[in-house]
This record gives sequence, C-alpha cells and structure tokens, in this order.
Amino acid sequence: MSLAITDEQEALRETSRRFLAAASPLTRVREVMATETAFDGELWRRMSAELGATGLAVPEEFGGAGLGFQEVSYLAEEAGRALAPSALLATAGLAVPALLAGPGDARAALLPRIADGSAVVSVAWLAPGASWHSTAAARASGGESGWTVSGGFSPVLDGAAAAVLLVLAEGPGGPAMFAVETGAPGVRIQPLPALDPTRGLARVDLVDAPATPVSPPGSGRDVLSAALAHADVVLASEMVGGAQACLDMSVAYAKVREQFGRPIGSFQAIKHKCAEILVELEGARAMTRYAAWCAEAAPHELAGAAAVAKATAAEAYFRAAAENLQIHGGIGVTWEHDAHLYFKRAKASLMLFGDVGAYRRRIADLIGI
Amino acid sequence: MTAPDPDVSPIPYSDAALEFRGEIRDWLERNAPDHLRGVPVPRVPAPELKANLDRWADTLTEAGLMCVAWPREYGGRGLSGVEVALMNEEFARAGVPRLTRGMGEGLVGPAVIAHATEEQKRRVLPPIISGEHEYCQGFSEPGAGSDLAGLRTRGEVDGTHLVINGQKTWTSGYYKANWMFCLVRTDPAAPKHRGISYVLLPLEVDGRPNGVEFRPITRMSGQALFAESFLTDARTPLDNVIGGLNEGWRVAMTTLGSERGGSATTQHVAFERQFWRLVDEVRKRGLRDDVRVREQLAWAWSQIQVIRATGLGLVADLAAGRSGQGLANGSTSKIRWSEFQRRLTEIAMDLIGPDALVTGAGYELDEWQDEFFAARSHTIWGGTAEVQRNIIGERVLGLPKEPEPAKGAAR
Repeated sequence: MSLAITDEQEALRETSRRFLAAASPLTRVREVMATETAFDGELWRRMSAELGATGLAVPEEFGGAGLGFQEVSYLAEEAGRALAPSALLATAGLAVPALLAGPGDARAALLPRIADGSAVVSVAWLAPGASWHSTAAARASGGESGWTVSGGFSPVLDGAAAAVLLVLAEGPGGPAMFAVETGAPGVRIQPLPALDPTRGLARVDLVDAPATPVSPPGSGRDVLSAALAHADVVLASEMVGGAQACLDMSVAYAKVREQFGRPIGSFQAIKHKCAEILVELEGARAMTRYAAWCAEAAPHELAGAAAVAKATAAEAYFRAAAENLQIHGGIGVTWEHDAHLYFKRAKASLMLFGDVGAYRRRIADLIGI
Repeated sequence: MTAPDPDVSPIPYSDAALEFRGEIRDWLERNAPDHLRGVPVPRVPAPELKANLDRWADTLTEAGLMCVAWPREYGGRGLSGVEVALMNEEFARAGVPRLTRGMGEGLVGPAVIAHATEEQKRRVLPPIISGEHEYCQGFSEPGAGSDLAGLRTRGEVDGTHLVINGQKTWTSGYYKANWMFCLVRTDPAAPKHRGISYVLLPLEVDGRPNGVEFRPITRMSGQALFAESFLTDARTPLDNVIGGLNEGWRVAMTTLGSERGGSATTQHVAFERQFWRLVDEVRKRGLRDDVRVREQLAWAWSQIQVIRATGLGLVADLAAGRSGQGLANGSTSKIRWSEFQRRLTEIAMDLIGPDALVTGAGYELDEWQDEFFAARSHTIWGGTAEVQRNIIGERVLGLPKEPEPAKGAAR
C-alpha cells in the first residue's frame, strides 16, 4: 500500500459522501442533536449495512472487511464533512485499535459485534473534573472466577450509545483494559449536554460492574496510547472533512453575497481568508493521509505523525470554522444558520484529547528534543 | 499491527522508476565527490567551493544529469516530475548538491520547449545545458512588481532586430549571467497583457556590451545579489523573440507552471537540517526544558512534516498516475514554505537571544541572522504572498476577480 489513493478508496469516499448527504443531511443532524444521546442509531445501522463502515478495519476473521486504516480515514473525512452523529471516532478510532493492540479472547467476542454494527463500543479512561492527562482512579478486582470494576469516568465519547465500554482500571497486576457491558448491573450512564451537540458525551459510573479483561495486566496505558494514536488519525480525518465543508460554504457564499455593488469574494479581505483556509487545509489533509498510511505501513512513525496530524487539522478546522462565521456576517452567528454547528464541532474536536499546545509538548517529547 | 519495514515506501514507484533510481544511486556512489558530501552551499560560495561546484557541474553535464526534465531530443533526459523527485532523493541521500542550470534550466528551457520554433530550440537549449549561457531574469520593473503586466520597457522593431529601452529591477544572479530573458512591451496600443513579447537578450555582442548596465542593489543583509538593469538601445535579433511578437505573456505564464514533482519530496531535507541546528543552539543555551521553547520547536517540526507529507502525497499520486490535485499547487507550497521560514527565523533569533544581537566585523552575519533577513524576501519574490493568495482565491477557489480600475491600453 502507498500514500496514493486507490480507485477502490476513491469509490468508497464517493459512495460515503453520497450516502451521508442523503442519510444524514444537516436537517437530520439537528433532529439528532436534540436527543439525549446525540447518536443516530438508524444511521449507524445503515452505515454498517450499506457502507460496511463499522467493520472496515476489523480483520476478516472477526467478521470485518479487513481493510486498512486509510479506508477508515477516508470514511471519517466524509463523516466529518457531514457532521454525522455517528460513533465512528469512539468505535473505529478508539475501540477497534484498543482491541487489536491487546491480545486476548475479547477480540473474538467483541470485534464481530462491532463489525456487524450491533454494538457501539467506546473507551473510557478520563477522570471526571480533571485534565486530559488524567486517568480515572478506577479499580478492578477479581480473578479466575470473574472480574468487577468500580470507578467514575467522564467525559466518555458516545458513552450513552455504547453497548460495551472498554475501561482503563487498576488491577492487581497494574493498569489494564476491561470490557464492561453497559446493560449489566452496577453500570450507571448519564448523557451529558455537550458544547458540540453533534457528538455524544456521557458520564459513566461503575460500582462492582462485571468486567472482562481485554489486555494483559500492566498493559493498560500502552493499549490506551495505541488507541489514542489511531483516534488522532480518525479525528484529524473528520476535521479535514469539516474544514472542507466550511471552506465550501464560505466560497459559495462569497460568490453570491453582494455588498458595495460586488460579490464580497472579489474583495481581497475575503479572498485571502479563503486562500489561507485552503493552504492550511491542504497541509492538514496531506499530513492526515500520511498518518493514516503510517498506521498501516510504518507503525513506528504513527504516534508522531498522528500527533502532528491532529494538531495541524485542529488548527486548520478551527480557522476554517471561525472564518466561515466571519465571512457569513450576522447570519453566521445565528442558531438558524448551520455555521455554528461546524464551529462547535471544530472547537470541541480541537480540544479533544488535549489542545494544540498539549499536542506540541507531546511532539517535542516524541522527537526527543 | 505489522512490524516496521524499512523498505516500505509511501510512494508507489514503478519498476522502471526503481531501476532508474538504482542507476542514479550506483552512479553517485562512483562519482559523488567526497569533498562535497554534506557541505552546505551558501548563496555565494567562497572561491574554492565555487571551483569545486563548477567541476561537479561539469561532471553532471558529461553524465547527462543536467536539465533532466527536458526532452531527450534537446539534450535532456525526458524525466517526469516523479523521476526528478527520485533523482533529488538520491542526491540528498548521497549528501551532494544536485546542481542545476538555474533559471536557464527551470524557467527559460520550459518556455522555449513549449513555445519556440524548432530552430530556436536547437540554438537556445544546448548552451544552457553546457553552462555556456547563463540567464538572469528581466521581468520586474520599478513600476511593475505584482502588476507585472504593467511593464513599460519598450521593444521596437528595427529591421531584423528588436531594440530595447527601459529599466528592469530585482535582477538576481546578474553578476554571473551573460544572457537575460525579459518581457518587453512591443505594442503599446494593445491591452496590457496583449502587447508584451518574451525576448532573449545577449548581454554582450562580439565581446562588446550590448546596452545593459547593472547597478547592484545592496540588500539589508549587506550583500548585493541582485541589481537594477538599465537597457539602452539593447539589440537582439527578432529570432530571439520566443512564441511570436506580442505573445509573450502566454510564454511567461508557461514558465511559471512547469511540471510538478521535482523537489517535492526533498524540500524538507534542508529544513530538517536547519531545525536540528536550531535544537543544538537551544541545547547549548540550556533552554530545552522551557515549555514555551519546546512548543515553538514542535510547531516548527510539525510544519516541516506537513511540507514533507504534502510533497510525498503529491509524488505518490503522480506516481500512481493520478493528478495530485489539491496537493501542493505552486501557490500553496510557496506560501507554506516561505511563511514557515519567516516565522522559524524569527523564533530562532528569539531563542538565540543576546548572541543574535551581535554581528561579525563589517556586518558579517551568521546563518540565523542571514536567514532571518533573507526570509523577508521569500514572501515577495516570484509573486508576493498576497498575489499567491489572489491566485488561490481566483484560480483554485473560483472567487471573482477584483474589478479592473481602468480598462484598455497600458500607459
């Protein structure tokens, strides 16, 4: 595999774009964001059945398509463009890589349920009311006869839509990942009203909830790191798609909106804003493509490339979304106009897993300066 | 997860391309001079280095490694952008400069190949390859910078010749050139883009000056790398008009849109070296644990990785037979690298701190001071950052042009 997009990938991207435009237009997104979970279950089922979206990177032996992370990235770009209220980031970005990073029978139990779309799976590790560096003070206890986990996590991506949560908890042999069925006793999930209402967030509290280890004792943080590197790529892909949507909106409006007797896009003040968005977007897209390629072909480069991609895409998307408001003028700051949906998604995505400065500090560590 | 594979390439090079890479690699192993390996090439090399570089240029010429993107029939190798990229990668790998024939190779050649007559191609191209003809550019004028088509230097037909009068400026490389390629107004009555001709002008005829006088312009760094050019009855045969009289704008625009690929996958190499030199400066000064410094360095590293990824993506797409659309078109790349250099050198000055405030005797600048000043010109030459944004806005995004204040003939 190479960096070049293949005909099959191009087809996947176009099919996804058409599908999402029809199945998840922004009118539908607005309906979903008014619900408690901010998750479109019907869309998820159709994405799974019609696009194979939920099992793209799941190996064939576990019921998936056995494709690579480049395909996941192209799909995520389209999901980001459409602001689709799907669990792609949680499931394909975090959960599948977490399961593939750790050995264990949990793969065989969980991956087929992800692949066939029957289970949304998310990953929980953040401590409520703390920073992105935090990990929850959750404890796992048990042994051969079975395990339980207790602890609180917040925010958890798509926590209220998840059938299964992979939670980071401290066990007797160190931190490890445990799978918890959300329908089990001792599991309490509270959907959280989110700043970005198109992405579901929840608080999860576990009290002696039945759990299954999905990574060896002591491996929990490594598994989390591997999952986060992949999630960075999925998130960056979504942000590239979102930034493109903002640029498209800005350019379309600047061509038709007239002031002082001419289209505002003929003024350099507006034209140059659009050009700057494109420059940043192009860089973010290239970096994201490279990081997705690393996930498959150069795993030793993944963490660094993914961090650069995430930070770069975050800046590009926020600029695109913020300038889109500005270019639209007064109408851009209304609830009625769609610009704020992208603006909120852009800021929330920029902040997810750490702001740009936090990523830069991580990059500095990774390259050893 | 798969194990790291050192042979895996992000670019789907064809077998033929890989075979070519092997040839270049072998040739470099046998011929790359050790005394040039890893040696940085400054803007104005000292005499000894200059002599070594000239010898290396001769070696490359003899081996057919000059003007490689030109068609074989005109002395080039007919390499695609992807193959040029591979060649650049091999030179970077060997640590020796891939010398070119400068503006003659990159600007004059492509315009001549696209627009000149067969006779002109046979006459103009070989001396560029051999190094016999070195070109400087006569495009900008005191009154025609970003608005290049507003140029006023006149070219009048006098029998079989064109007689040129006027003033050009920002003529870089004038001190080593013996030819100038220039744009002159040959029809003052025509609309401003229509009355321009693209002309090759010898700076000497039969050993005598041909009416071109250079007045060096000292840059803020103290160096005089370009000049004002005064053209007084400078004569050139009409045979040296490329693409036909009054058709020069079209020719000049071709020059600015040569084949993509080329340096896209190697541009980052020099930036990465510069970056690590800056990290050394930071370490020497005990600043590496400063969080703000680390964030600034990580920003710079990220920019370089974006430049690299953009180039890799472009060449990967081209190698796969795709258009590479939406990746590194000329204007976006130019903005990206020039504004990166501008900011990086500002940061470098800040981090180096007190030492950066002191120069050598006679205003001799160190690398960082020199690059700090040079970076200011990168966002100006070859189309300012603002002109590049207009190009992106209008040609890539399709936004409407600014209304022309006055239509009709140039003054």
